[in-house]
Amino acid sequence: MEQMNKDTTLEQDRQWAETLLNKQSLSQFNLSKTDAPFNYFESFPEKVMSRIENEKRQQKEKRNATLFFLPSFMQPLNRVAIAAAVIIIVGGSFIFLNNSVNKKTAASIVAAPISIQDLSSEEIEAYVDTNEWIAEIDVQSQMNKENTRLSTLDENQIEEIKNTLYK
Amino acid sequence: MSSDQELIIQFQQSINREANFTSLLHKHQQKVYYQIKRMVLDHADADDIAQLVWIKIWNKLDGFKMESEFTTWLFRIAYNETLNYIQKQQKQRNTLTNNDLLDYENATASSDSPKSTEIQIGLDRAISQLPEKQKVVFMLRYYEGFDYEKIATIVGTTIGGAKANYHQAVKKVEGFIKKL
Repeated sequence: MEQMNKDTTLEQDRQWAETLLNKQSLSQFNLSKTDAPFNYFESFPEKVMSRIENEKRQQKEKRNATLFFLPSFMQPLNRVAIAAAVIIIVGGSFIFLNNSVNKKTAASIVAAPISIQDLSSEEIEAYVDTNEWIAEIDVQSQMNKENTRLSTLDENQIEEIKNTLYK
Repeated sequence: MSSDQELIIQFQQSINREANFTSLLHKHQQKVYYQIKRMVLDHADADDIAQLVWIKIWNKLDGFKMESEFTTWLFRIAYNETLNYIQKQQKQRNTLTNNDLLDYENATASSDSPKSTEIQIGLDRAISQLPEKQKVVFMLRYYEGFDYEKIATIVGTTIGGAKANYHQAVKKVEGFIKKL
């Protein structure tokens, strides 16, 4: 039904054009525009296919020519080697730089002067609790510094030194 | 004979690509050629444009999603290629000159076509002076019998626009013939 409606409309459109223009002229116009040289359509597909083939070949040649004229480092085979080298360089640099940063950090920690007077008594006590033998050496060195001997000191003086250390 | 859809699917699946494409070509080459020739008149030009159209079809057929009929897509490409060609020609010549009209009449009267009458020549001249869109809408409607929906898709307009183009085309041609 829909197709019939469409056809009817098409027929109406055609009739309308034919009444205003001229049916014979319209058909002659079409004939004159739909003539083609003899055997044209027999050879046309072959002509198109050969053009397509030519185009394909030209594109291939163009691509090859482009590759040929590329600098050697842009050639596809070399690209893998270049990529590997770049990865090695970048990776190596990263590892190297990372290590040196760590070393610097460690060095700065070691180099930073820490005075016993800067430490709080809690810190010293905690330190002494865990490292008692080292603490003794520290006391000894403090005594040496002050040019005193344990044997010559009385208990008050020892206490005083301890207080100095723990303050 | 296989349908357009079957041929296209096989082409897209890389099954006998050339054979399937050639089948499509055999099936539709005449209509494409005539549509182009009605617009450019000269056989050599029509032949060249038709070849370009089919090369384009070959290059783009893999991406054709069958959302529309193959012929709609084909005629749209043919229409656009023809329009590009005409625009290039018009840039070269700038406007349609009397020589062009003379060429047009010669082309019309050439080969085995029926003898031209006064009305015939008038009609040919009138149609040649129509804007390209109106001309192609008129051709597709009157000679190919396409529905307006298909015509609208081919020329890139609405159904209403296509109808209006057909009616304007007929009216303009009538007006031109009356002036003779």
